[in-house]
Amino acid sequence: MSIMQLNGGSVVAMVGKDCVGIATDMRLGNQALGISSEFQRVFPLTDRIYYGLPGLATDVATLRERFRYRVNMYTIKEEREIEPETFAHLVSSTLYEHRFGPYFVEPVIAGLSKTPSGGLKPFIAATDLIGCLNFAKDFVVAGTASEKLFGVAEGLWEPDLEPEDLFETISQTLMNAVDRDAYSGWGCTVHILTKDQVITRTLKARMD
Amino acid sequence: MPDMVNLSAHSQQHPQQRQFNPYTENGGTILAIAGADFSVIAGDTRQSEGYSIQTRYAPKVFRLTDRAVLAVNGFAADGNMFVKKVRQRLEWYRHAHAKDMPLRAIARLIQTMLYSRRFFPFYVYNILAGIEEDGSGAVYSFDPVGSYEREACRAAGAGQSLVQPFLDNQIYFKNQKAAHGTSHPAHLPLNTVLSLVIDSFTSATERHIEVGDGLEIYVVLSKGRPMHGLEGLRGMEEVTTTNDGERVFVIRRDLKKD
Amino acid sequence: MASADGGAYSYSLTVFSPSGKLVQIEHALAAVSQGTTSLGIKATNGIVIATEKKASSILIDDSMLDKVSVICPNIGIVYSGMGPDFRVLVTKARKSAQAYWKIYGEYPPTRVLTQEIATVMQQATQSGGVRPYGVSLLVAGWDINRGPSLYQVDPSGSFWAWKASAIGKNMTNAKTFLEKRYNDDISLEDAIHTALLTLKEGFEGQMTEKTIEIGVVTVPTAAELEEGKIGGETGRPRPTFRKLSEEEVRDYLSL
Repeated sequence: MSIMQLNGGSVVAMVGKDCVGIATDMRLGNQALGISSEFQRVFPLTDRIYYGLPGLATDVATLRERFRYRVNMYTIKEEREIEPETFAHLVSSTLYEHRFGPYFVEPVIAGLSKTPSGGLKPFIAATDLIGCLNFAKDFVVAGTASEKLFGVAEGLWEPDLEPEDLFETISQTLMNAVDRDAYSGWGCTVHILTKDQVITRTLKARMD
Repeated sequence: MPDMVNLSAHSQQHPQQRQFNPYTENGGTILAIAGADFSVIAGDTRQSEGYSIQTRYAPKVFRLTDRAVLAVNGFAADGNMFVKKVRQRLEWYRHAHAKDMPLRAIARLIQTMLYSRRFFPFYVYNILAGIEEDGSGAVYSFDPVGSYEREACRAAGAGQSLVQPFLDNQIYFKNQKAAHGTSHPAHLPLNTVLSLVIDSFTSATERHIEVGDGLEIYVVLSKGRPMHGLEGLRGMEEVTTTNDGERVFVIRRDLKKD
Repeated sequence: MASADGGAYSYSLTVFSPSGKLVQIEHALAAVSQGTTSLGIKATNGIVIATEKKASSILIDDSMLDKVSVICPNIGIVYSGMGPDFRVLVTKARKSAQAYWKIYGEYPPTRVLTQEIATVMQQATQSGGVRPYGVSLLVAGWDINRGPSLYQVDPSGSFWAWKASAIGKNMTNAKTFLEKRYNDDISLEDAIHTALLTLKEGFEGQMTEKTIEIGVVTVPTAAELEEGKIGGETGRPRPTFRKLSEEEVRDYLSL
């Protein structure tokens, strides 16, 4: 049994029209045994960046603290908030530092980045456990249900979804994928980031 | 004592184990959906072994009778042999009873045939689709040793994990709530089913290396069912053999070849 | 206090004098003020940094001399003071810029790099076995956050931002001259000419493309920025700092 699948859990992020979504299940397990249905693996970093850490739960906690530390240092030193692209590189280099003894997580990043003209542009990215970046234009998935997520997302996602439509698409993608994954499920949380608010909803999902 | 040195150097023979592995996995995906008075069953045509593509056209879906179509996925050699054996049994049935075997009987036959090889199984996942004697569309899915079930839809093979949750959502309306005062339809119309099948395969082709090249969709229509929606479809061909029974059609499409 | 082995104050640390001064730093500043004049001017659409470079003998191949250095595509520096110390700082600054790039996938903002250099210089005032760097620096750079910025760093490790400043031999005169000539809406072209005129004030000998070095920061246009953002993950950023070639310097001198 792989360490990546020990605790279970999945994350998906999608791009919409001037918005992004990131969604996760809430299961924490020990192999086949369910431990918690309130586990958090998606965290806010700034008002405009959320990131998810599916994988080994102990590393989720460690990396969350590590990123908090490094981003706080960045904010103080540079006297500005970190941009999603920059954070993605920070995640990548942090993971690659441990190339030969990695943290067992596959981070997913979703955010709105500033354009030179002052607008906001949706941004998503994902990396593998040693920090290989994947900047996708449509959606990224990670975790034990990643293959299922790919299948559903490929079928449901379309360009330029408005926030409410993006919410529906990402929720349906996540729920139907995790329902076919024994290691994911037990409740879902969805965040939609728009230019003036973050919508966070907990979904009523199958709890088996 | 040079002799003893030689002796100990050459007599060190380790036991070696060799094993013949009779199975390979040839990739591809199959899928079937049952309608109220029709069923649709489809498969891609790529056949691969590891990272090599053996052929871009190896059918996995076979017409058995005018009311039954069988899709086989897994180890291609076993699949082809299994279809051959099923067809032989169906031919014997015709000779004995002067009619085609009913769908539910074919399903049970397949179970017996698979289970008879319980300890050296046909390494294949079967999906049988067609029309029941009551005229309803039906899909039966099997595991390699004959465990089976009648369902409204099923995906199997390399792309199963990509396609099945999508079908759960779009066919069974899983995780979807019907608008107030309405309910989800128990069966979908043929044109909707066909576009879902095509979407499923294009999606699986996009993300799975073992899926692609070509797509064969078989459609079985219940006796006397009007064609509406099916006629004039690009790449469609009728493969029915009798005049006044169920009708079978095949639609051939291209999938991405990369 | 003074004895054969140096006595209680023999550590080669910078040590406070009873009046609260760090004499070593003042000596370092003296070394700077003996160095050749360098100056920088911030314009509306860019920055110019310039210096005179004089070889102590006509036998020296002056094509080897480099007084304006590129640190990363968006930052360049010039110095007054001790050449070898500058060279060490340039190497450290370049390494720091690349280390930043390895972490964040982009080059550091001018302020962050300046701070980094300043930290290195400060550490030399507090560490054992070293002396302070005998240079003052002018750091010119552009970044998306603060736009064009010009900083001065001193041997003590302190740094400030300037609109225009001069360091080295004639800095007082040069600064007075700049104060007269500077205005808030000066263009880069005008700034380059002002820089040359300022240098000319205290220049001994002939001002030629061989005895002048110029570096410029050009602010990218909105269109260039928008273009640079696309596919910026893989492509190298368009440089905003560059050194002027001898031909370009000659053209500016002849005007």
